[in-house]
Amino acid sequence: MFIARSEYDRGIKYVSSFPESRLSSTSNTPPSTFSPEGRLFQVEYSLEAIKLGSTAIGVATGSGVILGVEKRVTSTLLETSSVEKIVEIDRHIGCAMSGLQADARSMVEHARVESQNHAFHYNEPLRVESCTQSICDLAIRFGEGAEGEESIMSRPFGVALLVAGIDEDGPQLYHAEPSGTFYRYDAKAIGSGSEGAQAELQNEFHKSLTLQEAETLVLKTLKQVMEEKLDSKNVQLASVTKEKGFRIYSDGEMAEVVGRVPTN
Amino acid sequence: MLNANSPLASGPSYSFATPPNQTSTNIKQHSFNPYTDNGGSTLGITGDDFAILAGDTRSTSGYNINTRYAPKVFKIGEDDGTGESAHIVLSVVGFAADGNALKERLNAIVKMYRYQHGKPMSVKACAQRLSTILYGKRFFPYYVHAILGGLDEEGKGALYSYDPVGSYEREQCRAAGAAASLIMPFLDNQVNFKNQYIPGSGEGHALEARKATPLPRAEVEQLVRDAFTSAVERHIEVGDGLQMLVVTKNGIEEIYDPLKKD
Amino acid sequence: MNHLPQAWGRPRNAILGAYNPSILQPSGPKAHTTSPIVTGTSVLAVKFKDGVVIAADNLASYGSLARFTDVKRLRTFNRRTVVGFGGDVSDMQYLDRLLLSLDIEENYGSSGHDLNALNLHTYLAKVMYKRRSDINPLWNQLLVAGLDGLDQPFLSSVDLLGTTFSSPTLATGFGAHLAQPLLRKVVDDEAKVGSVTREQATNAVRECMKVLFYRDARSLDKYSIAVITKDGVELKEDEELENQSWAFAEMIKGYGTQTV
Repeated sequence: MFIARSEYDRGIKYVSSFPESRLSSTSNTPPSTFSPEGRLFQVEYSLEAIKLGSTAIGVATGSGVILGVEKRVTSTLLETSSVEKIVEIDRHIGCAMSGLQADARSMVEHARVESQNHAFHYNEPLRVESCTQSICDLAIRFGEGAEGEESIMSRPFGVALLVAGIDEDGPQLYHAEPSGTFYRYDAKAIGSGSEGAQAELQNEFHKSLTLQEAETLVLKTLKQVMEEKLDSKNVQLASVTKEKGFRIYSDGEMAEVVGRVPTN
Repeated sequence: MLNANSPLASGPSYSFATPPNQTSTNIKQHSFNPYTDNGGSTLGITGDDFAILAGDTRSTSGYNINTRYAPKVFKIGEDDGTGESAHIVLSVVGFAADGNALKERLNAIVKMYRYQHGKPMSVKACAQRLSTILYGKRFFPYYVHAILGGLDEEGKGALYSYDPVGSYEREQCRAAGAAASLIMPFLDNQVNFKNQYIPGSGEGHALEARKATPLPRAEVEQLVRDAFTSAVERHIEVGDGLQMLVVTKNGIEEIYDPLKKD
Repeated sequence: MNHLPQAWGRPRNAILGAYNPSILQPSGPKAHTTSPIVTGTSVLAVKFKDGVVIAADNLASYGSLARFTDVKRLRTFNRRTVVGFGGDVSDMQYLDRLLLSLDIEENYGSSGHDLNALNLHTYLAKVMYKRRSDINPLWNQLLVAGLDGLDQPFLSSVDLLGTTFSSPTLATGFGAHLAQPLLRKVVDDEAKVGSVTREQATNAVRECMKVLFYRDARSLDKYSIAVITKDGVELKEDEELENQSWAFAEMIKGYGTQTV
């Protein structure tokens, strides 16, 4: 008996009364196995996981890059400073994340090692694109592994990163996905509110944005897509500039920028 | 029953009478020496907007001349596929097999760097990388004195010299190899004007030292030729040919001049 | 044989000295080759305008004993290249097997393209350098003779340390002292290779084989000679030295018939 092609292709486990048809269910197939349609379900699911994550936004200007995240303060008893969704990779590179934060730890760790390794070997900072590439190299190391080679991860990462940095080509912003692909953006939003936020960025972004305008744009956009009311405790900003490198904003600076966001 | 440890009761003694001795102190160390010296000399001088690396082309084994043409100066990172020209030069002198292995490794790394980072490697980055390569074999060193040359980020001539285990330093000029001790003092005097004083600039011997200034290319080329023709006279391992690689913003120029073959 | 079966086949200490038991050490450093055992002497080669001439005698010595007198030290590779081996004969035989397996592997599915002399020399140089780096050298000096990728004469050397060099004329071992200066009289410069004929090159090599037989005590008057051109390899393995003249020996103490 044949199972319905559409369900088979979507990978829905079809339990029929005929035991052999179980063989075609995809629930047990390894994550690196293609579906007959040419899709990798585990990768696609990992992208779904990110859509559940908190919103993160990055905006690149001529003088630097601004990263912003919502912190999702789920309890008044939560110590908000312990929510770390923007981290430093090197003096000149930082990243914001959305999705499974634990997964991001190993990606950031990898990027930090690559960055330090490059500085050790070449006496120069790692380029932002090369850093993003090294993160993506790690991201696609899931699956069974080649013959005789140990598999490292059974599933793809469940987190997307916005990598912001500055090098000889100026300030840059990259979006790295669990699929191992990355693209450079002028402005990018990821996470649960990304659709609305990206539309807002599309309207508001222009090439001559100043760093200060970028700060308010990021917060204004976050504010629109957040469920909680935006204040200086439930959002976090960071910047990468030529002068100061990567920097997470202090409580005072956060309050100052939040004060600048138009109330409507 | 014969006891292997004691000599036979009578007659001549045989080899088996001496058993393998665990505590034998004269364990033979193997006597293979993985190194040799192939002689020759190299030399590098920088100017305001150029760097010259030079080396003689003789290769020796003891008193034998292996060949009269074995280059010691190489272009690094040249891509014959895309026509992308090299902008870094390396000279190696000492054990030629290690020198070649080192050159090939650095060459591959510089090419890979371009693919991975989308830009040509700077001389500064290459200098650091060469140091880590050499130090990576700290306990089985590449037995060579390397000199790396090119132009720095400002377009000025850059020269880095190394010891076999990766200590390095940026310099104006450096001689290495068999005749280094003959050439280096000459360079100190003629490039950095050591022991040169301005006549009449002070009382008695308290004269003002002549300040070093970058030399023009033609003058440096002639200094290189003079250094080698002199070294050929006094060192048997130097001779046959002089190879020079000149790095300028227009690329790398190769010059070959004959030296005495005696 | 005597009354001690344990002693049968064993050398008496009184004759050869006590057996050195250190090689039986179960522990201690692992000893690889530290000196060659059965050896071949010089290999000579000269480039000429259309190719290369290479020669080596057919002797394998065991110390000062002329042990094997019919050993072929020139080996052809895929009918286009000749490798001449000096040094340890067992390591030569290992390399010969290695080259045979390389040739077989290269012929699987290769479409008309095969390795030229330059390719082979690069390969051998990597093998030799790897082995010296493992402190487990192949105790040889090799000359690789043939044509390069542009069908130009190719001649290059690699030794047990992985040292490589190339020259219009090359000679290993004793030949580096005795033959190389004579050969350089024929061609002393890469630029002059084009004006050397096959006859000139062959005659020079044969003459040098004779000089080496006069003066090298580990040499033989039977030798192999190969000429490599675009048309392939012409290898002769049973040559004999001709027109020897030992007149010079009369003058030299120890060579001739003088008794005092």
